[in-house]
Amino acid sequence: MAQLLNEDYIPIAALNQYAYCPHRCWRMFCAGEYTDNAYTIEGTALHERVHTLSSNQREETWQVRAVWLKSDRYRLIGKSDLIEEANGQLYPVEYKRGKRGEWDNDELQVCAQALCLEEMTGQTIHQGYLYYAHSHQRQLVEMNADLRRTTLDTLQAVSALIETGTMPPAIYTPRCKGCSLYQQCLPQAVDKVSRYREA
Amino acid sequence: MNDQEEDMGTVYITQEDAYIGKTDERLTVRAERKSLLDVPFIKVDGVVVLGRATVSPAALNELLERQIPMSFMTSTGRYLGRLEPELTKNIFVRSAQWQAAGKPEKAVHIIRGFIRGKLKNYRSALLRAQRDYPELQLQTALSRLEQAIVPIDKTPEIDALRGLEGTGSAAYFGCFNQLIRVEGFHFATRCRRPPTDPVNSLLSFGYSLLRHDVQGALNIVGFDPYLGYLHVQRYGRASLALDLMEEFRPLVVDAVVLSVLNKRFLKPTDFTAEPLSQAVSLTPEGRRTFLRLYEQKKQSAFKHPVLGRKCTYQEAFEIQARLLSKYLLGQTQQYPPLVLK
Ligand code: SF4
Repeated sequence: MAQLLNEDYIPIAALNQYAYCPHRCWRMFCAGEYTDNAYTIEGTALHERVHTLSSNQREETWQVRAVWLKSDRYRLIGKSDLIEEANGQLYPVEYKRGKRGEWDNDELQVCAQALCLEEMTGQTIHQGYLYYAHSHQRQLVEMNADLRRTTLDTLQAVSALIETGTMPPAIYTPRCKGCSLYQQCLPQAVDKVSRYREA
Repeated sequence: MNDQEEDMGTVYITQEDAYIGKTDERLTVRAERKSLLDVPFIKVDGVVVLGRATVSPAALNELLERQIPMSFMTSTGRYLGRLEPELTKNIFVRSAQWQAAGKPEKAVHIIRGFIRGKLKNYRSALLRAQRDYPELQLQTALSRLEQAIVPIDKTPEIDALRGLEGTGSAAYFGCFNQLIRVEGFHFATRCRRPPTDPVNSLLSFGYSLLRHDVQGALNIVGFDPYLGYLHVQRYGRASLALDLMEEFRPLVVDAVVLSVLNKRFLKPTDFTAEPLSQAVSLTPEGRRTFLRLYEQKKQSAFKHPVLGRKCTYQEAFEIQARLLSKYLLGQTQQYPPLVLK
């Protein structure tokens, strides 16, 4: 993921990391920490399967996998798992491990992909999908004004983060439990150190 | 090295002229046409080569690729150097580490932590021995240790702090012989390079192994292991690994050495002395025993006093390195050394 990082473009993946936890985004995209654990390894295996470049006709739907997406206007870059076209409409599909919608940050990623796709094709993208491997379910993501605004706001925050490198504080939340960077981050340590009395 | 347990942890290669290779995803060790070890890389967190060995380019590549550190020691356990996997890209940790070198308050705080940690752990070792064996004469050493601990937090000069560390260590090693509860072993004074008695040779060997482990943890967290605070001047070479080792010396190495001797895992016949230098080292069989027990100690669990959860010493090396990075990055107000009761 780190190799996507160049001075000019923001990796799309950084957006949903930021929405999940700004400190995590900093660790991954500013400090360059990325450790495989069960979650990410599983994620990679899934991605590898999806990312074998292919394009095929499946019934009436045209599909192309593992496409690089880029937007010069928003300085965004990333790879899409799958782009489909049905009834003349293009839309991105993003594969996720696990069940749907535990955190809503994945929608940002689909929206950012759609922004790139719009710029690349000149088409307006109205929708996208999140595919959850665990439940084999597709969830519709509507590119409404709200989601677009949230995505652009997040993009701005991530740009500022990457430009300045300023570390957002690690704040312990329920999300920390599922975070692959927990052992590096030790989000409870700050609190615990301040209360600690050495024997 | 022959026990192929489920979790390998650190692989120690003690066989002279072994050939370390890679077959598929596995690390293999051969010598004299015999296979000595065959273990998946995924189960290896470090490799320590004692004596001479050949490493295949494929194995080297794989070790670097997987960020598995490899240290080289002489067959007697003297630390020679290591193959260091690439540092993490966490430039923030390194930059904070360098900045603190120019900020006396931060450097002094860290040095105090390392010294307090070491001396307090010395103190608990002696207190425990005193409880277990009331007949021991440890009171003088204990009060001298206490006199070295008390002023640490009020002492602003680094050299004076080093002096306190020296006094405290001298008090501890002054009664170390009493902690050895078996016939046939005697400790007079700490001597290195080369150690000329079995107890010193075990201590030196253990500290070499500890250094491999602590330096690996520092590397994972993103530190530059060569810039230290306490050891800047003493060895003419900056070394954070030596600094962070301090609090772990009594907890890990001294504890293993004492239990190996007191539980009679090693006998005086497990040691040999070189004719001219009088340098004492373990026999190959004794070395395997010691390595096994050292590894066991590293994998043993205790409750981390700051985090309040169970961890092994192996994990604690990294936890302490992370706590140090939090202090340096300004996230915490203090660095808490690992002090165990
Ligand atoms: S452990 Fe928590 S605070 Fe730390 S990076 Fe993960 S989510 Fe963020």
